[in-house]
Amino acid sequence: MNKTPLLIIGIVLVIAVLGGAYYYNSSKTTPTSTANSNTPSKAASAKPSPVIIPANAPAGAVPPEQMGSPTAKVTLEEFADFQCGSCAAAHPTMNEIKAMYGSRIHFIYRNFPLKIPAHDKAYEASLAASAAGMQNKFWDMQNMLFSNQKAWTADPTYKQIWKGYAQKIGLDMAKWETDMIGMAAKGRVEADIARGTAINISSTPTLFINGVAVPFTDMKVEPLKALIDAELQKSSGQNPSGGESSNK
Amino acid sequence: MTSFDVPANTAKKTIAKLPIAAAIVALAGLTDAIYLTIHHYTAEAVPCGADFDCGAVLSSPYAEIAGVPLAAFGAAAYFAAFSLALLTAFGNVLTWKLYGVQATLMAIFSGYLIYVQYSLIHAWCQYCLVSAATSFTLFLLFVASVFISRKSWEGKSI
Repeated sequence: MNKTPLLIIGIVLVIAVLGGAYYYNSSKTTPTSTANSNTPSKAASAKPSPVIIPANAPAGAVPPEQMGSPTAKVTLEEFADFQCGSCAAAHPTMNEIKAMYGSRIHFIYRNFPLKIPAHDKAYEASLAASAAGMQNKFWDMQNMLFSNQKAWTADPTYKQIWKGYAQKIGLDMAKWETDMIGMAAKGRVEADIARGTAINISSTPTLFINGVAVPFTDMKVEPLKALIDAELQKSSGQNPSGGESSNK
Repeated sequence: MTSFDVPANTAKKTIAKLPIAAAIVALAGLTDAIYLTIHHYTAEAVPCGADFDCGAVLSSPYAEIAGVPLAAFGAAAYFAAFSLALLTAFGNVLTWKLYGVQATLMAIFSGYLIYVQYSLIHAWCQYCLVSAATSFTLFLLFVASVFISRKSWEGKSI
């Protein structure tokens, strides 16, 4: 019996397993590329990918949904969509970054619900989060919506599910429901959309650090940490490892 | 040598190349499926084109069966298809029939997944479309082998 095919099959199996294991480990620990692969060549050629936020871009919601210190030297601005799976996947990373840097960064969240059929509830979800923000609970609601995205995104009773989240985070339900359909929440979401549209954002999540777009492949803790640390050092000489620099 | 032997020999040579082509295509499908399986377990978003919504597709309830990502089943299927095609390329005729059954099932399932993306999720994932393309190619290679061997048989019988 010819053993050559069995040998080749065995080799392919070993390569598949070892290669897969290597890629699994490397994608968990290291940045893979600096190319913005979230806006591939086709999209890039059709529409320029956002690189720098132009100075004349609309301001977005004022004040924005923000964490950290507005006077921090490093500003992270995330444009995201509550029904975007990649945004939900990036959410724990953003939380880790916010917790890690605290008031040393200024973190801004921008609502950018994509107008595609699969994201039919994204705009309403932005309103729900903005309405929660009017009771200073934006981040709690944002966390609930992203962490439980799979539970509500395809559920026709999603509004009931959101009500459950609102109750859980302790919102005044009557006010939240009124605010959700009010002009104020809509105005804030529309302002964010106008800003994102002016910047030419074509996919979510899109993150900017001090106005410069971060490649999608760098939206992991370690690469982001490296970028933020570099900005901190550049702007104020702060010690990137966590504390304030000695000369401050 | 009759005038009919020529097409028969040509057909034989062509048929012999089909399993090799199938093995190469199956390897492409295997790579795609392994990539998606790994991204499922790392919960890391895949780079996705602006006209696609990979997140919506890959995080949908249709992307898993009993907690196992569909891509993992796909990887197993592509590996099996590769093995069967390779064994055929080395002279085992029976395995080509098994390959044919598998390629047919894979093509049917890929058709179902295209329906799911189009009608139920209303979003496309480029990696899933690549997988569908490789599945259909595997099936077409088998159909081609059946068609060519039938032609060859018809040639001999005349």
